[in-house]
Amino acid sequence: MQALHIDRLVKRYGDFTAVDGISFDVPEGEFFGLLGPNGAGKTTTINSIVGLSKITSGSISLFGLDVTADWRATRRLVGLSPQEYNFDRYLSIRDILIYQAGYYGLHGKAIRARADDLLERFGLTSKAKQVYTRLSGGMKRRLTIARALIFEPRLLILDEPTAGVDVELRLELWAFLRELNRDGMTIILTTHYLEEAEELCSRIGIIEAGRLVALEGTRKLVGERTLQDVFLELTRR
Amino acid sequence: MIVTAEGDNRANFIGFLTLVKREMVRTFSIINQVIWPPVIQTLLYVFVLGIGLGSQIKAVNGVPYAQYLIPGLIIMQVIDQTYSEGSSTVFQGRFMNSIQELLIAPMSAFEMVMGYVVAGFARAIFIAALITVLGGMLVRTWPIDWSVYFLTIVLVSILFASLGVIFGLFAEKFDHVALLTTFVITPLVFVGGVFTSTRFMPPVLRTVSQFNPMFQMINAFRYAYQSSGDAPLWSSLVIIAVMAGVAYFGALRLVSIGFKLRT
Repeated sequence: MQALHIDRLVKRYGDFTAVDGISFDVPEGEFFGLLGPNGAGKTTTINSIVGLSKITSGSISLFGLDVTADWRATRRLVGLSPQEYNFDRYLSIRDILIYQAGYYGLHGKAIRARADDLLERFGLTSKAKQVYTRLSGGMKRRLTIARALIFEPRLLILDEPTAGVDVELRLELWAFLRELNRDGMTIILTTHYLEEAEELCSRIGIIEAGRLVALEGTRKLVGERTLQDVFLELTRR
Repeated sequence: MIVTAEGDNRANFIGFLTLVKREMVRTFSIINQVIWPPVIQTLLYVFVLGIGLGSQIKAVNGVPYAQYLIPGLIIMQVIDQTYSEGSSTVFQGRFMNSIQELLIAPMSAFEMVMGYVVAGFARAIFIAALITVLGGMLVRTWPIDWSVYFLTIVLVSILFASLGVIFGLFAEKFDHVALLTTFVITPLVFVGGVFTSTRFMPPVLRTVSQFNPMFQMINAFRYAYQSSGDAPLWSSLVIIAVMAGVAYFGALRLVSIGFKLRT
């Protein structure tokens, strides 16, 4: 089954075309990398998947359900870890997770236990009662991922998950994401760290000026070169 | 697996309740901004105008002046606080992007707007209850018709929480949120019969005041305390209900189309 199916997606802002007829699939269980320079259309594509952007034309479906027609069902299937820290400043770290689950229609002991598990797993237990503004950059980054996972989505979208974190934490996050993927979760990753995409993703799509300019298995795409060389060649304007 | 979700298009009642609860957490975490100021302001009005200056004023419509003041003061705070609740939470959510937590969740526009309205009502009823008790203790006046008391607060909360959502969406900076309060709500409330009966006004102004929506709200709420007012109760309630309906559906429409929420 396709976890994600995008068919001729177009997104325009006035005269500006941010995404220009992109089509691709992500099979269930895949670790997929969506790369591209700043302003290429990655975040717009992600926002269209999760409902933050209104699609101009084309269609997106998640696990066979259309994100517009079946918006409520599809939103229960996808977790987003955004690039920005957009946490609720009035809630404690633990409550950020519990309330997020609430917005997805989930509550009770199981959710509180899952929140505690995630806090433990991401090394945030000691900060559970604090507000997010007291966390370090790395901790905030971990919290965005924990929040995206609280309702156990089947597809996890990570927008720059390791931006601004130190090497040690990055390696820890890589190990964690690999484990999630091994357990069956489909993951879509956008990153500017090309070695990260090369390390984690089994397939990579590269967007340039709103168009998909490459879509290949990572090994095939890179070949004898480095991903950086391939990326620069494909995205040179 | 916690989620049952595949193909699940059911309404999200828990999401709605979570939003209401979140708004209450917000209200009580800024208690010095939203709960105590209206209570203290009301106390000052009661002492300075009601008990101090009021001792020199004859009864208004047969009611001692300090007692006459209480319903108007309550509804003034209900208006102010429900508008603040809707406008500040939506604007802050947009400004900090935290509203995206709701926008990516399986919550409909109806559930979101209703969440803000119910949270506004909860804040309003809490403040109204505090002032009602103060009024009872200080000037010995209590509502005599609780159904009118609750109905008026419900309608006014729907109206101003919805207007708050609308202005929270339109605002580009915090300053814009204050526009309605500064230039519309406060002046209209002050000339709408909080401090004096419109019967004391010249005939022309008395007629004009019938078109002041705040007059209708204050008038309706006064019935809860004094069983009389400057205009019929039913007409005031109908006018408030119509305005509340228009504002609610306006807010719902804007959130439905993702106005300044979804790009």
